[in-house]
Order: sequence, then structure tokens, then C-alpha cells
Amino acid sequence: MSSSIDERKLSIDERLSLDNFEIDKESHIIVDTNICRRCASKVCVYACPAHLYRLENGEIIFNYEGCLECGTCRIVCPLGAIKWNNPRGGFGIHYRYG
Amino acid sequence: MKYLSEKFDVIIVGGGPSGLTAAYFLAKAGLNCVVLERGKELGAKNVYGGRIYSHNLFNIFPGFEKEAPIERWVRKERIFVLDKNDGLSIEFHKSNEQLKNSFTAYLTKFVKWLGEKAEGEGALIATGVRVDSLLLENNYVRGVIADGEKMEADYTIVAEGANSILLENAGLKKKTEPHEVALGIKEVIRLDEQTINQRFGLESSEEGLAGLLLGEASKGMIGGGFLYTMRNEVAIGVVVRLDEFERRRIYSHEIVEDLRLHPMLKPLLRGGYMLEYSAHLIVEKGASDEKELYGNGYLVVGDAAGFELNTGLTVRGVDFAIESGKLAADTIIEAHEKGKNGAEALKIYVNKLRESFVLKELKAFRKAPKFLRNRRIYEVYPKILCSFFRDIYTVKGVPKRLYPTLRGNMKGKISILTLFKDLIGAVRSL
Repeated sequence: MSSSIDERKLSIDERLSLDNFEIDKESHIIVDTNICRRCASKVCVYACPAHLYRLENGEIIFNYEGCLECGTCRIVCPLGAIKWNNPRGGFGIHYRYG
Repeated sequence: MKYLSEKFDVIIVGGGPSGLTAAYFLAKAGLNCVVLERGKELGAKNVYGGRIYSHNLFNIFPGFEKEAPIERWVRKERIFVLDKNDGLSIEFHKSNEQLKNSFTAYLTKFVKWLGEKAEGEGALIATGVRVDSLLLENNYVRGVIADGEKMEADYTIVAEGANSILLENAGLKKKTEPHEVALGIKEVIRLDEQTINQRFGLESSEEGLAGLLLGEASKGMIGGGFLYTMRNEVAIGVVVRLDEFERRRIYSHEIVEDLRLHPMLKPLLRGGYMLEYSAHLIVEKGASDEKELYGNGYLVVGDAAGFELNTGLTVRGVDFAIESGKLAADTIIEAHEKGKNGAEALKIYVNKLRESFVLKELKAFRKAPKFLRNRRIYEVYPKILCSFFRDIYTVKGVPKRLYPTLRGNMKGKISILTLFKDLIGAVRSL
């Protein structure tokens, strides 16, 4: 296991690496980034607990790998740019201590 | 999947506590039912804070305390009120009579146990099967489409959880708004059981502590934090209402790490390592409208029906889920005897909910969500309390009588009038 976590914050990527995923080839979330371009809020960047929505040069970059399947992004998106589906049966996050 | 091509009496969408309880009772009554669970195994998609209240479990599953995967019985309730670098806590230590009122557990493991109970009665549980949509024909739910295939049933129980996309997509539930739900984020930290016993003042490894954290735990946003001692781990987490992210623009994943390293919590977790990071939605708005709880061919149970209760001090979901699952099963068993599955026949589900603690308690606290929307609870009062104690416990040889100190701490933050208004609000809604 990694070095002591007593004194330092773990990055989100370090924490996601602790989780079990069965990643599907296809994304279960479709983001219409054309709509994101006219979104002033971009609140998904802050709300997603896996930090899968990131800003690069003012554009939303999304990666479905690491999704914790909470559904937060779908609900906070003010413009309906996010099409959310559950991952296919057996795929996605596999919680052991939920 | 071949066995799934037959027609079932009941299809249950989701293998969580509500769906599996329904399956248990339906199978026990001899109905042919199947649970469709998208996780590779039961529990793979279940996340909650860490505590189950047992009051109805003793009736529904007599003897559960000997079989279920219980981590610890909750002996101590501790409330933390945190500011940035300090905080206060108050602890309630329970007597033996109260000890078995709630226990900590991993929901992941608990639902596996429920699944075994249901299978023991003859329920079929199909894991790794995703329901794509509800099969809606002429305003009637006739089953589901799962992995692209049609599956028909006389009754469908929707137990899909808080992120209720199937109901919303079918137009059977209003779209969920950000202020109606909260995001819960949890970290599980492995320690060893002796260390946990010592640090939390626990007599034995059978007994645990449940913590509720306010103020800085959620950075003053509507929400809070939680801490549960498991047998060999501590689960800590934060809850933040979704509309707060628009206002405060704080990264959700940072909040829980700041909480873990807060000076009051850090020594409790020292030497531990993290096992898992998880997240789930929590329904904050209360039960769905009665019209959204049933319809032609279907019933809604558990989180999908909004059966979660936050009273400010207690946060519950699993006991409501289990009760609603049982009542849904009772409803279908009665309707099935009459050979009916229309909304008229299924309406008795609402009556049963009303007679049970599910709607009695949710209705008694129907004003709580509005009261708990008051930002002063999270932003202002914790800071006043902490600065009050900071002043009282800092002796400098100048007179500091209690009331003037309190007034000094309130100054510029809140008026006496507002304080009274909030107190009256609390009395009326909680």
C-alpha cells in the first residue's frame, strides 16, 4: 500500500486508483461539448466527485473512466448537455465497501 | 439469459435493500419473481454512509442480528461542530437498552446477505443485467427492456435508487433538481480494531461510534459530514447539496480530504490507509408525491420513491427502504390474489405506507427539508459556537462572562431576532 496518508491530501487520481473498475469500451455518459461551449456555469467541473470534467483552454474535457456512477453531473448540468445511462450490466465501478 | 425469457409475476429493478426485501416476501408467498441487478454481483453499486437502524428489522427478519454482516452496534453518538482549525464535540453514550437500535455495516455486504435470504425463499436474482428502460405501453408498465431484450411481468417494482433515470425517462417522475438531492462522498480507512476501540473509547469490538459533523466539514455548505466505526475501518465522508456547487465552486473531491486532515479528525485516523473512495446521491426533498409511488403495473420503493429522512441529527434510508419493499410485496400479493394489476388495485400501497412509519415519519418531518435549507445552520452557527468556546477557554486575565462573550461572538454575524426566528423554525419543523 502507498506511503502514509496521515499528513497529506491524496489526489483524486490516487484515490480512484484504489477502486475496482470493469471499464467498458463505450462511454455510458455522452457529453455534447457543443452545448458546453455556451455554458457559463460549467458546474460539473466542481461537482463531479471523480473530477472527470476538466477545463482545458476553456473547453470541457470529459473522460468516463473512473466514473463513480452517482449521477451528480446529470442533475447539476444546467443545459442538459449530459446524456446519462447506467453502464452495461457488469461494467463500471465495483464497490467493495459501499 | 435464456431463463429470463419466461414471463414473471414480478420483475424487480434493482438489487438494493428495498428490492431484495420485496423479492424475499414475494417469493415466500409463492410468486414467481426476478431481481435484475446491473452490478456484477449484489452490492457492487450500493453506497451509503454506514449505519442501519434496526427497529423494523427485528420484526421483518427475526433473528437477523445473528446472521447479518453487522460491523458494530452503535454505542456512542458524537456531534462535531467544526471551524477551520478547531471545533467542539458532544457525545451521547447509550445504555444497554438502546445499544441494539442501530448498527454500522457495509451496505455492499448487507445486501448480499439479503440476497441470500431472498434466494432461500426461491427468488431469482440476475446480476450483471442492466435495465435499459421500463416497458411502457398505453400508460401501463408491462415489464422492462433489459440488455436489449423485452421482459414481461404482471408487476414491476422500481427499486433503481436515488439516481432514478428509468422513472424519469419514462415520464413517471419529475426531473430531479439540484436542490432536491445531495452528493455523498465516502472514504474507507483501514485501521485495526484495537486501535479503533482505544481511540473512540469503545469497550469492545462489538460496539461502535457514529459521528455527525457540521460547519467546516462541508465548508459551510448545506450538508455536513459523517464518521462511522466499522470493525477494522473508519468510514468518513461528506454530504453537500448539489445546488451549493454552483454558488461556492469548490471541488467536491477536495472537501472530504480536507475533512480527513482536520486537526480534530487527523489523530483519530493516524496510521490508517485508504481502501476505497465512493460516491452516491442522497434524496433530500422527502417522499415523492403519492401519485408517483404507483401506477398501472408498477410500484416504486426505497430511494427511488424518496424514502430518506434527514432530521438534522438522524439520517435514515435503509430502514425505510426495507419497510417499503415489504409493503410493496404485501400490496402485490393482495392484488395478485384478485388477479388485478391496475393503478386502482395498487393504490393500497399508499395506504400501507401511510399506516406504517414510512409516511408517518416522513410526513411529520415534511417541513424539515425547508428548515434545513437555512444556510445559517451550516455557515454561521458553527462559527459562533466555536468562537464562543474559543473565547471561554482562552484565559487572559480579563473578565469574560458567558452572555457578553456570546453576544460578542454573534456581533456582525447574526441578530437576536434572527436567532429567535431560527429557533422557532427548528421547533416547528424538527
